[in-house]
Amino acid sequence: MTPLLEFVETSFSYGDRLVLRGINATISDQESITLVGPNGVGKTTLLRLAAGTLLPEAGEVRLQGQSLEHIKQRTIARSVALVPQNVDVPFAFTVEQVVEQGRTPFLRMFGGLQPADREAIDQAMELTDTRSLRGRVFNQLSGGERQRVKIALGLAQQPKLLLLDEPTQHLDIGRQWEMVDLIRSLSRKGIAILASMHDLTLIEGTFSSVWLLSHDEGMRKGTPEEILQAELLERAFKYSPRHRSLVEERIRGRRERVV
Amino acid sequence: MAREIAGIRAAVFSDADTPGCLRHRILASLLIFLLVIAILFSLGVGAVDVPLKTMARALVSREPLSADQRAIIFGIRLPRILAATLIGSALSVSGLLFQGLFLNPLADPYVIGSSGGAVLGASLGVFLLSSFSIAGFGATALLAFVGAISSILLVYSLARVQGRTPVVTLLLAGFAVSTMLSYSSYFLEVLDRDFGTGLRVLASWLHGTIAQPSWAQLAIVGVMVVFGLIASVPLARRLNTLSLGEEYATLLGIPVQQTRMAVIVVGSLLTAAAVALGGLISFVGLVVPHMMRMLLGPDHTRLLPVTALAGAVFLLLTDTLARTVIAPAELSVGVLTAFIGGPFFLYLLRRTKQETLL
Repeated sequence: MTPLLEFVETSFSYGDRLVLRGINATISDQESITLVGPNGVGKTTLLRLAAGTLLPEAGEVRLQGQSLEHIKQRTIARSVALVPQNVDVPFAFTVEQVVEQGRTPFLRMFGGLQPADREAIDQAMELTDTRSLRGRVFNQLSGGERQRVKIALGLAQQPKLLLLDEPTQHLDIGRQWEMVDLIRSLSRKGIAILASMHDLTLIEGTFSSVWLLSHDEGMRKGTPEEILQAELLERAFKYSPRHRSLVEERIRGRRERVV
Repeated sequence: MAREIAGIRAAVFSDADTPGCLRHRILASLLIFLLVIAILFSLGVGAVDVPLKTMARALVSREPLSADQRAIIFGIRLPRILAATLIGSALSVSGLLFQGLFLNPLADPYVIGSSGGAVLGASLGVFLLSSFSIAGFGATALLAFVGAISSILLVYSLARVQGRTPVVTLLLAGFAVSTMLSYSSYFLEVLDRDFGTGLRVLASWLHGTIAQPSWAQLAIVGVMVVFGLIASVPLARRLNTLSLGEEYATLLGIPVQQTRMAVIVVGSLLTAAAVALGGLISFVGLVVPHMMRMLLGPDHTRLLPVTALAGAVFLLLTDTLARTVIAPAELSVGVLTAFIGGPFFLYLLRRTKQETLL
């Protein structure tokens, strides 16, 4: 079976700085994967490559067997949605107007929103529990609400694959757990997910596999139990040995709670 | 002022929770009604009053107008009314487009210097090409377009800082470029061959006066404006998406650079159309879209039709005022719009600073 998305020997660099080297990885339908790694290792870059807004320098990214390079962005956007970290909207757009933008890849030049578009928007707001916010001004929302609205925009694209860039960043602990619950429920709805995460304690029980990116060793893939090992993490994140026990404790504590 | 406007809004639209769509429709019908009233009113007033009753009777019972009345209405007032509505629509819609492009509510064809560029282009047309006028006014309008587009490209490239256009750089770049352009137009006086007509045309352009347009001029500008308005329809939706930033727009399949270029071309076309007829009429492109945004929110697809209508009403009323308020003398309409628009601009600037809208 052709995987939903496939990185084939994908490399990327910004100028002289090589960020990703020969990445091979696949995402299958309905899989939910988290991407972890130190700052600057190329997590956002990988997500942008998956969304087709960056083109690999070498190798390919394939969507259902076809190289993204040969697919129009408009077409890609109908199956892959990326939710970026930061959005900043200069005018007082309402939540509903922001979510409507997710239908852009489906609209014709002179046509407005059709009933099917309305339905997709409605469903996206239902899934993210943002219906009650629809008339609010996006800029006046709290961080957690904004994050949910951004995900609603992505869902309005009716994607098969949802790419989330640090969805729990800047959220308080309560909103972080809300976000994790939302990710789980979307995954149960059959949407494949690739999310970059900084907080390793939120991973187990939420994602089925982990991709660990490190500067020296490239990408390592496995189940959360396999990857969230103190030794592997220490090599990837390069924290000093005296913090090792702390990290171990946190992850173990979380694991016990999940089990 | 925001409170007053909110008050008007509450008065006009009794139910604040009605879907935006309904509010949009009400506003649009209201504006169409206002436009009709304004046209009738403007046809009637002036040095010779033609009472509404007389016009209505002429229309309904075919009781003919006197030759004088006909000459005044069809020969003088109607062309001027059409010119004012076309210019008002064109300036307002290009203001809306430029605000969306710069992601900055202070952009306007006058402020950012594209009107200045159009005046320079048009002056070149009058001074250099009048002797072998190929298509007469057509060449002037074309040069105005070239001038508008070059100056906005210049301001756009100067004012952008890391993908955004902060108020400060926008205003500074716009100010510098438009001042330079206006004075270049004065410089053109030196090249004036027939010592007179060119100078007078230039002077009226720099004040912003809606002169007596010929039907041929109206036809050329009319085509430009209609084309510009139609081309704005797909752009309005794309500007909504662009408001989310370049990354989002790219993600959603909007060709960002082409869209920006298209906005610049269409906005300049509308500016050139306005300038070719009326010269430098300031702040219309700022005041009108902003008022509409206060009433309807920032959705460009909704703003486009009401902005076009409101621009027509606004400039028609201002121009009617300009030609009657100190009758028999006439005021340049640009003087009035500057009186109205200047304070409004300052108010916006202040509010922007407070709320860090940007």
